[in-house]
Amino acid sequence: MQIVTLSLKKPNKIPIEADNVNPDNFAGKTEGEIKAIPVWYGNGQCPLGDFFNVSVEGSDSAENTKIVFKGDVSRVKRIGQNMSAGEIEINGNVDMHCGFGMKGGKIVINGDADSWLGCEMMGGEIVLNGNASYYVGSGYRGESCGMRGGKITVNGNTRDYVGEHMCGGEIIVKGNVGLLPAISNNGGKIVIEGNATMPASEMKSGTVIIKGEVSDLLPSYKEEGTEEVEGVIYRKFTGDVNVGGKGVLLIK
Amino acid sequence: MSEMLIKNANVCDPVQGINCETMDICIRDGKIVESVSGSAKIIDAEGRLTMAGGFDGHTHSAGKINVGRFMNPNDARKNLVPGLSGQVARTEKTRAQVGYNTPNTYAIGYRYAKLGYTTICEAAIPLLAARHTHEEFKEIPILDKMGLSLFGSNWQVMEYIRDKEPEKLAAYVSWGLRASRGYGVKIVNPGGGEAWGWGKNVSGLYDPVPNFDVTPAEILMGLAEANERLQLPHSVHVHCNNLGKPGNYATTIETMKLFEKINPSRDRQALHVTHVQFNAYAGTSWRDFETGAPMVADYVNGADHMTFDLGQVIFGPAVTMTADGPVEYANARMLHEKWSNQDIELEDASGVVPLFYSPKSFVNAVQWAIGLELALLVKDPWKVMFTTDSPNGGSFVNYPEAFTYLMSAKRREEVISGFSKMAIDRMVLPGIDRELDFYELAVMTRGIQSKMYSMPEKGNLKVGSDADIAIYDILPGQIDPSTEYAKVKKAFSGAAYTLKDGEVVVKDGEIEATPKGKVYWVNAKVPANIDIAMQKDIDVKFRKYYTVSKSNYMVEDTYLQKPVEIATEGVF
Amino acid sequence: MPVIKDAVCSFCGSLCDDITVTVEENKITKVGNACILGHSKFVGMFEHDRIETPMIRKEGELVPVSYDEAIEAAAKILVKSRRTLSYGWCSTSCEAISGAIQLAEETGSVIDSTANVCHGPTALAAQEKGSPSATLGEIKNRADVILFWGCNPVHAHPRHMSRYSIFSKGFFTEKGRKGRKMVVIDVRKTDTAKLADKYVEIDQGSDLLLITALRSIVNGHEDVIPETVAGVPKAEILELAEILKNAKFVCVFFGMGVTQSRSKYKNGDAVSSLISDLNQHTKAVMIAMRGHYNVTGFGQVATWETGFPMAIDFAKGYPYYNPGETGANDLLVREEPDAAIISAADPGAHFPQKAVMHLARIPVIQIDPYANPTTEIADVVIPAAVVGIEAEGTAYRMDAISLRMKKLIDSKFKTDEEIVKDLTAKVRELKRGA
Repeated sequence: MQIVTLSLKKPNKIPIEADNVNPDNFAGKTEGEIKAIPVWYGNGQCPLGDFFNVSVEGSDSAENTKIVFKGDVSRVKRIGQNMSAGEIEINGNVDMHCGFGMKGGKIVINGDADSWLGCEMMGGEIVLNGNASYYVGSGYRGESCGMRGGKITVNGNTRDYVGEHMCGGEIIVKGNVGLLPAISNNGGKIVIEGNATMPASEMKSGTVIIKGEVSDLLPSYKEEGTEEVEGVIYRKFTGDVNVGGKGVLLIK
Repeated sequence: MSEMLIKNANVCDPVQGINCETMDICIRDGKIVESVSGSAKIIDAEGRLTMAGGFDGHTHSAGKINVGRFMNPNDARKNLVPGLSGQVARTEKTRAQVGYNTPNTYAIGYRYAKLGYTTICEAAIPLLAARHTHEEFKEIPILDKMGLSLFGSNWQVMEYIRDKEPEKLAAYVSWGLRASRGYGVKIVNPGGGEAWGWGKNVSGLYDPVPNFDVTPAEILMGLAEANERLQLPHSVHVHCNNLGKPGNYATTIETMKLFEKINPSRDRQALHVTHVQFNAYAGTSWRDFETGAPMVADYVNGADHMTFDLGQVIFGPAVTMTADGPVEYANARMLHEKWSNQDIELEDASGVVPLFYSPKSFVNAVQWAIGLELALLVKDPWKVMFTTDSPNGGSFVNYPEAFTYLMSAKRREEVISGFSKMAIDRMVLPGIDRELDFYELAVMTRGIQSKMYSMPEKGNLKVGSDADIAIYDILPGQIDPSTEYAKVKKAFSGAAYTLKDGEVVVKDGEIEATPKGKVYWVNAKVPANIDIAMQKDIDVKFRKYYTVSKSNYMVEDTYLQKPVEIATEGVF
Repeated sequence: MPVIKDAVCSFCGSLCDDITVTVEENKITKVGNACILGHSKFVGMFEHDRIETPMIRKEGELVPVSYDEAIEAAAKILVKSRRTLSYGWCSTSCEAISGAIQLAEETGSVIDSTANVCHGPTALAAQEKGSPSATLGEIKNRADVILFWGCNPVHAHPRHMSRYSIFSKGFFTEKGRKGRKMVVIDVRKTDTAKLADKYVEIDQGSDLLLITALRSIVNGHEDVIPETVAGVPKAEILELAEILKNAKFVCVFFGMGVTQSRSKYKNGDAVSSLISDLNQHTKAVMIAMRGHYNVTGFGQVATWETGFPMAIDFAKGYPYYNPGETGANDLLVREEPDAAIISAADPGAHFPQKAVMHLARIPVIQIDPYANPTTEIADVVIPAAVVGIEAEGTAYRMDAISLRMKKLIDSKFKTDEEIVKDLTAKVRELKRGA
């Protein structure tokens, strides 16, 4: 097992781009090597060690590497981007694009996450023990496929566009979501335990379950009886009719 | 005075009939000359294939491509051809670059130059939006540029043809080229753009255009006659009716036949048919869709009045963009894709739709085969211009990949082995063993362009020609492209040297310098009395129907960087 | 007395190019064909609060300096900065915009336009679904049904209706207003709505619900529509859908009522889909009612030069784009920028308070002909000639047609284009020195 602990030396306003901070890149590296990894800060690059205190215990493969952030990293973007194995634990808030394009491994965030959490994620797991901002599990601008696989669990609330363009995988939100969850999705499963507004616009396929209140159900879904999931009976809607959709929207 | 000597080059220059012979090339002040002084700078080209700079005679690189960029920000990060795509930071020499199918203007210039290309022809300039095209031209570094102006659904054109006013029609074409600073006459789905103004299309050469009482055939003949009357350097450049529809090969052959009666006014073809791959489909629907290339090639082999280009498909993402508005709408609905449309008042239509060519799709596989079949079944390479109709069939950065398909049957077999049986049954490519040599490739990528655009100073290495030269790190004779196609691809993907007007702009595949290129446009002289009569008619159009003033319509000189005016004398 | 014909009005996105301007002793004394807004720009520019001289803030006060001193001070700010925001660039020429983009690239800045607070969502919508559009002359010559959604051209684009849309007469529309049906959808009965043949009032923020309902009907699924949607009875929505489907040529003009209401860019996205669906029955197009005269131009120039229409981050040397992350307000609210350069825009008046407060804390360079609230927080103020009056250049109309704006009178002020060029040269000089 290799454990790498990072803590910010002082809070920053200009974001640090930590797109190479992941177990794949840290595995087997020494404290000195990790400190020397360059990261973008505004319009220039600096060694990671300029911003973070770094300590390393052990040396191991990516699967057996865990990165622990002590404290807030709410201005550190792209933590865990493209990671394929290992674990990242963030004890504080995290900035945008955490787990972007993630292929495997696990990220646990004990705080809030800014927008684009798990954007274009392909595999692995993200557990957010806080609230998320916009575009959880979505796609990049203009892309027609967002999250493709893996699982995101949000134990708090999220803002708008959860699972936009989602093509696969699973998102569970324990709290409420904002506007237009599951918009333009084409596969995958989204479970919202709280409330949602205008869900599943232009869903082509996939399943969306909303256990709380639904506001402004879009006039593009056919009601087709009921369906029971895990002992709970939901009203079943199919659509979106405007995209010839075969998606299933289950609401109370 | 700047002089350069390219020593011991292995020269392949079909316009002069030179087939991979070792010789020196002398350059003075941007031109190829007989000899240079002893103080000339020397480039040692020993063991290196040397050709005139490549010339892309049909590409969508300025104007409409901006719609493609705008609606596909996800293209910017695509890096499918490393070194020639994706995001590249600025350097002291180069501006920042993005994109694959729809790169930014700087990337277009740099990447063509890296391939050894030095001239491009934008395939479609809407007259009303011509200023925009020239604004983008200004920001495309290195390359010489020209463009084809759209006339095929223009109200004034259709009215003059209907009213049998061939002289005024020619005067209007001359004026339209001057207004848009265009090089030639482009006709896209003749009449179809106007029909699309009402959400409709024309179904063939003899289907009248709604409200204008002319047929596509009459538009083609009228414009061809005007084109020859004005003695324009290029023939009409035609995107046939029914593009993209199974069974359209018949319309394509019919269109080609129509032009047998056109007498070219210059030593060039009477007709150029573009991206024929999209217009050589047999079958009656997408179910029984199959190649129509053998029928088209058969006709072309017996014809001597025309040239065509391929519109070769490259597997992967592409972005279709054309003045053929109804085709793009049909594409978008069929593929459930994004759809942009821009109809141009009194003139034409257009649309942009991204798509993905997959070798797993039997339709896409057959499309891929059709382009190659056309290139290989037509015997005379002087009838065939190589294009992908970039980025419609695929991005120009894939040209080196496409060259390997043309030069190696083995490479083709490799690709075909991934196709379904149904796809293979619908194509004839597996039975074709012809492999192009470097000479034939040079014809299709340089030589034919020189002839078909009447540009004697381009596409060849004659004394007096522009010193636009590509030197590739490969030696014909010492390499077998049939088996060593990976080396062919590598060599063409990054020229050892690209020279533009005698200046080294690329060295070892990297940008060395970024001079500004020239812009060519055609000014055809028309007798004053006919011009005045024509102007009266268009004054009415501007007063009553256009939403811009006539004086603000003409592209001003300030938009033309290093303009080269090609004057012709109309025959009236 | 020189009379200049066919001048281009540089006020709104209609970009009327038939203005007649009389100039006497280097002053515009008479303006023909312009609307009241355009007229006031041509004539009233002399009455505006012009910035008379370059200024630098010293000990809290803006003091007059030379252009050279101001450019040098501005360049020093840019060279020192780790994250500059360059903002505005919509009331200027494409040539100046091009220069501003190059400056942003060379300084690793983020550059964004005023679309950030108006039609930015229109671009995001096009990135979802495309932009099925046409030039304004297509509407003039063909449209028999014109729908204004969330826009009020009577006040914002006064000549739009007579030149391009509802009142204009064209080739297939000889009868003008009589031959056209005008529909307005809005949350309140605007002066434009008062002229409509059919006015549909919808609940605030419910545009997406109504667009979706219309799509469902157009696509043959009226059975899924509940009795009311967006506060509009089903019967009325059915009637509206019939008007659209039975038209020969429909144009939907949409404004900030659509782009800035609750579901933002997803509204434009859905309008685009509605247009596509309508084309199964008739001919339909959409056009955004762009405000600033060259906000469309910024999008065009930025797209061909960087691949993206706005919110472009050059920090890593290549363009990166992600509105929500790289937009002017996104950055300011997060207090990221450590310097700002603002041209031809007034974030001081139009941005949220948190963003303005951050601007007040960092060095700000302003390039503008006129003083405005942003001047109050600027550290370097560089006065510019008024483009379209004192300087020539290119602008794009709301339908992406570009026109050459004329220079009508001489000015003692440098043009935006010159200022940006000088600034870039100075930045290079300082970087070389360092």
